[in-house]
Order: sequence, then C-alpha cells, then structure tokens
Amino acid sequence: MSENTIEAEIISIIADVSGFDPEEIKPESKLADDLEIDSIKAIEIVVALEKKYKISVRDDDVPKITTVHETTELVSRLLQQDNMIHVRS
Amino acid sequence: MSGADHPEYDAVIIGAGISGLVCGNYLAKAGMKVLIAEQHHKPGGYCTSFTRRGFTFDAAAHSFGGYRENGILRKVFQDFSLDKNIPITRYDPSDILLTPEYRVCLWSDPEKTIEDLREPFPKEADKYREFVAFLMNPSLNSFARIRSWTFKDLLDHYFQNEALKSMLAFPIFGNGALPPSRMSAFIGAKIFIEFLLDGGYYPDGGMHVMSNALAERFQEYGGELLLSSPVQKIIVRNGNVSGVVINNTLIASRHVISNCDARQTFLNLVGKKHLPQEFLNKLNHMIPSLSMFVLYLGMDQAFPENAGSNIWYLPQYDLENMYRSAARRSHKNISEFMMRISPNGKCILAFIHAPYRNKPFWLNNREKFIESFIIHLTHIMPDIAQHILYKEAATPHTMHRYTLNYRGAAYGWESIHSQLADVDFRRPSFLHNLSLTGHWSTQGLGIPGVAYLGYDTASTLLKRRKTLPS
Repeated sequence: MSENTIEAEIISIIADVSGFDPEEIKPESKLADDLEIDSIKAIEIVVALEKKYKISVRDDDVPKITTVHETTELVSRLLQQDNMIHVRS
Repeated sequence: MSGADHPEYDAVIIGAGISGLVCGNYLAKAGMKVLIAEQHHKPGGYCTSFTRRGFTFDAAAHSFGGYRENGILRKVFQDFSLDKNIPITRYDPSDILLTPEYRVCLWSDPEKTIEDLREPFPKEADKYREFVAFLMNPSLNSFARIRSWTFKDLLDHYFQNEALKSMLAFPIFGNGALPPSRMSAFIGAKIFIEFLLDGGYYPDGGMHVMSNALAERFQEYGGELLLSSPVQKIIVRNGNVSGVVINNTLIASRHVISNCDARQTFLNLVGKKHLPQEFLNKLNHMIPSLSMFVLYLGMDQAFPENAGSNIWYLPQYDLENMYRSAARRSHKNISEFMMRISPNGKCILAFIHAPYRNKPFWLNNREKFIESFIIHLTHIMPDIAQHILYKEAATPHTMHRYTLNYRGAAYGWESIHSQLADVDFRRPSFLHNLSLTGHWSTQGLGIPGVAYLGYDTASTLLKRRKTLPS
C-alpha cells in the first residue's frame, strides 16, 4: 500500500471523526489547532486506525501524532514492521 | 411537503435526554428544522424529577459538573443564554467520602482537600496535588497516552495507601459502575474531573429545571418537541437513512440522530438486515453498565447537615468485591451506597448499583430492598427511620421503563477500555445520515459527557452541511 493511499484513507478517517471535509484536511494540518481534535477524538482516531489497519498503536506513540502527516508516517511505519514480521515468520 | 427530495425536517432526534436536547438546541439555533421525539411524557431522560405528596425528588441524576469557566455545561448554558435564567448553586464540598475510619471532603478548592487529607494520610496529601495537576492539564495527548490504562493503574501511579485509593475510586465506581481494575483510566479520569473536581452544581428547584429549560429554549429556536411519542422505525434505503416512523406516520428527514439506547437504535429501529455482520457481532458482545436501585425518602423535618453534598459511604475497601456483589445484589448484601439530602433538607435520594434481574425478582424484593437500605442509611443518620413520611423506590426495571435504556443501564456501555471510542457507535460508516449521541454512543460520562456529545454531534453535522450542497 503506498503512502499516498494511506494518506487519503487517514484523511477520510479524520474527516469522519472531526466533521471537517476531506478537502479541508491537508497533510500539514494540526490535529488539535486546525481540526479541533480533543482527547476523546484523538482516541477515536487511534481506535479507528487500529481497526482499519489491524495494527496496534503504543500508548507512548499517541502523543507524537500532532499532524495528519505524522499520523500517516506512524501508520506506514507500523504496517512496515508488520510486514517484516510476516516475512520473517 | 414530504418525500425524499423535500424532507419535512433537516433532523429528527430520537429521545429528549440531555444529549438530544443539547444537540437539538445547537441545530435549531443554527436554523435547521428539527424535531425531537421522546417516548416519555417529559423531557430529560435520567435528568428529571417527580413530585409526590409535596416532595420533589430527582429521579436519577442529582447534581452535575463541567460548569467551570470553559466547562461544557457552562458553554451550553451561555450559548443558549440559559446562564441568567437558571440559578445554579454549587454545593461545597461536592462530595464527602465516609468509611468507618475516615471522613474526607472533596472541596471545590483542591488545596482544602489536601489539608483534609494531611492528617489521615500524611504521606499522600501532596500526591493529591500532583494527581489533580495531571487531571486538569489541558494537553490533548496526556489523556490519549493513558488510553489502555485502567483507573487502578492511574491511582497506583500517584498513591500508595490502599484505603485512600479505594476512597478516591469509590465515587468513580458510583458514577461509572466499575471498580478501578476494570474502569478505563481515560473515563475514570474524566469522571474525576467533571464530577468531583468540578462537581456539586445543582439547578435551584431540581434537576428537571435544566431539562425543561433546554426543552423550552429548543422550542423558542423553532424546534418541535413531541412527547409521549416513541419512534417505531428508522427508515433505511440502500444504506441511506431518510426518516423515521412515529405513530405509524412516515416523517422524512435529512438526518436522524438517535439519543436512545444503541441496541434499540440498531436492532429494533434500523433492523438487523441493514447491519454488517462484523458490526452485529460486536454489538451483541458489548457489555452494558450495571443498573441501579434508587431509594427516595420524604422526611418530616429538614436535615440541613451536609445537604446538597454527595455522601459516599463505603464500609470496607475492597471495590473489586463490591462490584462482584453488586452484579448479584440481593437485599441481604446492601452495604456501600451514595446518599444526597436535597438542599431544603427534606428529601433524600440514595442509590446502589444493581443488576437488571427479571420482573418477578423485583416484585418480590422491592420492599425488602427498601427496608434493608433504610437500615443501612442509619450509618449516617441514626434516627432516620423515625422521620420518614414518604418512601418510594426505582428498580432497574423502573429505569428501563422510563428511559428504555437496555437492562436499565445507568451509564450506557460499561467503561472498559476495550469498549472505548468505536466511531461506528457515533456515526456508523454503513448508515449515511445517522448519528448517535448520548451515553450509548461512546461511554458513560454523566451529564457533562452527554452534553459534550450533543454539542459535538451537532457541530460535526453543521460542519458537514456547510461543505455539502443541501
């Protein structure tokens, strides 16, 4: 899965949780300041990402996601790790 | 005019609980044509009152929080100019924690609480300041970080004394129906903030004053409120929700917002055939919170001592055991409870958690529960029995009858972290134009929580509307 596809999917998830139109959500958009994501919504986004990509986001990683781009990077990294585990096993 | 192209309403809201009322007010104020349909003959859900023989009792909710500067209830009241109309009193201490050994008051000023803690818990008192500082930290991610913690993990992080931890966890057990080892830290923290650190508020006259004021304002904004009008069906075509059926009449609407029980919304009103199998499985495995047994007493004289504060009595410190015994409660194992004396000192509301059971159980046991409960209240008011003029009780079946909450659940879904924040329970991805709001759409957070959800559901819908051609 390319990072562009993932980005589009993540924007759609964030649009769903935040109520903002996907067109308004840019990679550099700040979750809290630009998209009005509060703590409940941050958790909703993480839960939705875990469900969609069957990944598990570590609690310590959650505070590191502050923009849409960082979210995409985190998901891509977790998916890659997942692939590597599959290849090895 | 009716029909898919020209729906009668922009939004129909099912249920006039606080979340439905708050949501309805925001939508109507923004100029949408909104209908709220409520099955009961009065608005408010768990936030209402009833009067018998001159005594006015709050039915379930008996105070609220989130009224600080920037608190969600403060915002709601200000946005609808209700802050000037409804006199709100804050009772201080909001909560009193009582055990056979200790008495701790939770004051609006945490420094005062710390002074109270200093004598019984000298090593822990200052830890309370750190705990409060963490809870009141507005940073977005401090809470997200403790997403998979339990409330026990959070308490263990700050405190060592087991008795104190149980005392601090007990109001969370009372307001969330879970012991610390099962309660998600996120929800436990939210309850601690909104109910305890910023709690103890009460609309003069009774909790119904708030619900009625919201219902009136909604109508002033042009909203229509139908009482005694259960919704029979949500109309779905090809994954699109297009209206509801009330009183065998189709009412077309661009959006439907359900403020009622999630099981009822999906299984009875929408119907299984419109649900993906994966979601249906999840829904069937979701655990509801416990219900409650509420005792209402009218007294022959005023008892002003501690009136307005929530008094939490815990006879022992094992909350895990308390939870297990609440889930199979009989009149013989009533021990811990919450009690609140009304501000005029003449009405008492006391509650314990209880399982739903079946009708015959409550028919046979209701009176026994009442009598046994009154005996236990003597721990706080030794001569209470001699002063009772009127007694009444609500069983889990009463809770169900008035609100249709599944199994009379007090707080929606049980607040375990595995049930936290699934967006499909707020805006199901497989049903366009349907939203859910209230304690079944995420987790039980009391009045501030459901008010937040009502606000958020409305603002999300309004944001979308701006970007979509209507």
